[in-house]
Amino acid sequence: MFATLASGFEMFLTPLAVGLTFMGILIGMLVGALPGLGPLMGIVLLLPFAIGMPPLAGMGFLIAIFVGGSCGGSVSAILLRIPGTPLAAATLLDGYPMAKKGRAADAIGIALAASALGGIAGGVVLIMASPTLARFASSFGPPEYTMLAITGLFTISLISEGTLVKGLMACAFGLLLSTVGTDEFSTGFRFTFDNPNLMNGFHIVAVVVGLFAVSEMAFQVMGSDLLSSPTIQKVQPGLGSFVRVLRHWPNLLRSSGIGVFFGSLPGAGGDISSFSAYGVAKAFSGSHENYGTGEEGGVVATEAANNATVGGALVPTLALGIPGDASSAMLLGAMLILGFVPGPLMFVQEPGFVGGIFLVYMLSNVFLLVAGIIAAPLFIRVLSIPKAYLIPAILILCCIGTFALQASVFDLLVMFAFGLVGMLFRLTGYPLSPVVLGLILGPILESNLRRSLLISREGYWIFLDRPVASALVVLNVLILTGLLVSSLRRMKKARGGKRALNP
Amino acid sequence: MTKRQMEWVALAFFAALVMLVFQQIATSMVEQGIASGGAYDNAASYPRAIAIFLGGLIGIQAILLFMKSRSLDAPVRTEGRGRAIALLLVFGGYLMGLNWLGYHLSTAPMALTVMLICGARPGLRLVLVALGMAFGLAFIFEKILSVVLPGGTFGLNIPW
Repeated sequence: MFATLASGFEMFLTPLAVGLTFMGILIGMLVGALPGLGPLMGIVLLLPFAIGMPPLAGMGFLIAIFVGGSCGGSVSAILLRIPGTPLAAATLLDGYPMAKKGRAADAIGIALAASALGGIAGGVVLIMASPTLARFASSFGPPEYTMLAITGLFTISLISEGTLVKGLMACAFGLLLSTVGTDEFSTGFRFTFDNPNLMNGFHIVAVVVGLFAVSEMAFQVMGSDLLSSPTIQKVQPGLGSFVRVLRHWPNLLRSSGIGVFFGSLPGAGGDISSFSAYGVAKAFSGSHENYGTGEEGGVVATEAANNATVGGALVPTLALGIPGDASSAMLLGAMLILGFVPGPLMFVQEPGFVGGIFLVYMLSNVFLLVAGIIAAPLFIRVLSIPKAYLIPAILILCCIGTFALQASVFDLLVMFAFGLVGMLFRLTGYPLSPVVLGLILGPILESNLRRSLLISREGYWIFLDRPVASALVVLNVLILTGLLVSSLRRMKKARGGKRALNP
Repeated sequence: MTKRQMEWVALAFFAALVMLVFQQIATSMVEQGIASGGAYDNAASYPRAIAIFLGGLIGIQAILLFMKSRSLDAPVRTEGRGRAIALLLVFGGYLMGLNWLGYHLSTAPMALTVMLICGARPGLRLVLVALGMAFGLAFIFEKILSVVLPGGTFGLNIPW
């Protein structure tokens, strides 16, 4: 563990890597604060910029956007009662009442400090747990990776918004998209329609920018508040918030633990962890604390949890190459583009890069507090920019970013087509995250499945012959059965409720 | 259009996708000789399995749609729909014309039109904002990141 960290210093200690990490925090906080954007959108929009940089500087930039974006939503939640991202939805429960009581600066300062400390706690777990997990996974072969990929796909499909069937359909769509291009085994062409642009499949950035960013802009333009510029009180948080947060240390530790736990589970994101941490903090609160009316503890719990989730999410992403959510899937995609294949082998072959990622993550959280406090007035100003100006700027960024990948106008048309698909999915309640997971995990799933069958003498029985693979098969069956039963129960309950209303 | 009709459109999209997979397996992949054999040679087995899985889910979703309550017969959100369609038309047109007009000629007018669609008042200030946006981002990408943006048929690229 320490050797990995030490070898990371050399790659990490460059002005470019440190500078881009700082810039990533600022950009992350900006996209987090603006309602409708968020860390995923920030990573997607700036991925083309990052992959043009040296590997660790580029990854530091993206990880910092993930960290900053996970905290930035709290600014608009506290000041406007509009969470910039779903991650900050629980923060407004106590953050907004604090602002109404004239304590907006305290609330933002506490959110920043709790996020930074929660993130550092997540980083400690990341540094300690991921090499151990990678060592354990080094004995994994294709059957285990096949089952792990299926576990990742199942959980993200089942936990994301929308119904179980729609989640699975979106996931299958992503898996099918990943088959477009040249087959790595037979070198045959699949779904290329003799178009040379499709020989390597769809570029993931073009697909994701279209699905998330273009469709989001089309949805934003349907809103009625395109020219409004909310009046926001001027606040300047101070370093004293750090001491205030430390006074809540049991809550901070507990909430960080909850965040790391949910982060490491595929599919369970920061929004689930922050609401869970809030619920637990409320249950543990003393009689003098009145959660929901502007308690500091409420802000500490939710913000510590949602930033600790980032560290947790990076554990399976780095150690197994199985991302926990759409944002870490994009980070995994970036590592693949930069020539690093996350998984146990990366810990052996590229310890410097892994150590550098750990350091970049820890530094991001330190920068979060510093940059957050210095630049808070700037984020608050950005909140007052009307959407009418932001929408075209984001569309131009989508275009330049996607074009810069391969200097290809075809990628821009792919982006636009997936923007239309994204619109259809949003209008009909199909979740978008499983598509990204399917697209990224698809090649891992297919190559490991086919390799498993190649080394097997008994066909599919290989998945039951090996202990870890068979345990994962059982886990997958249990997850699917459990969720099928719960959704059937939910349907029955909903119908019962309707009958009671209309006898 | 009602929510139910919209749901059927989504199902038709998925169904078309499944049919496309089988059509490609039966034609292009068979011609290439990659639609049969063992795990190494058979490049069609995996997409076929996913298409079958997706087909099954489409069936389940169709049944659920038939069973669902009348709340789905409410019309889908219509306010602002005209703006969204206009935005997509302008943006789509911009992308189509990018190869011909180039980035520097087409981006500022696109940004200006999008702002007008959003309801911004036309005027010199808006034109300046659009120009600032288009050329500011171009400067960052062309000068700092050495990205060559599409010059179009006129080969317009700014030597910053």
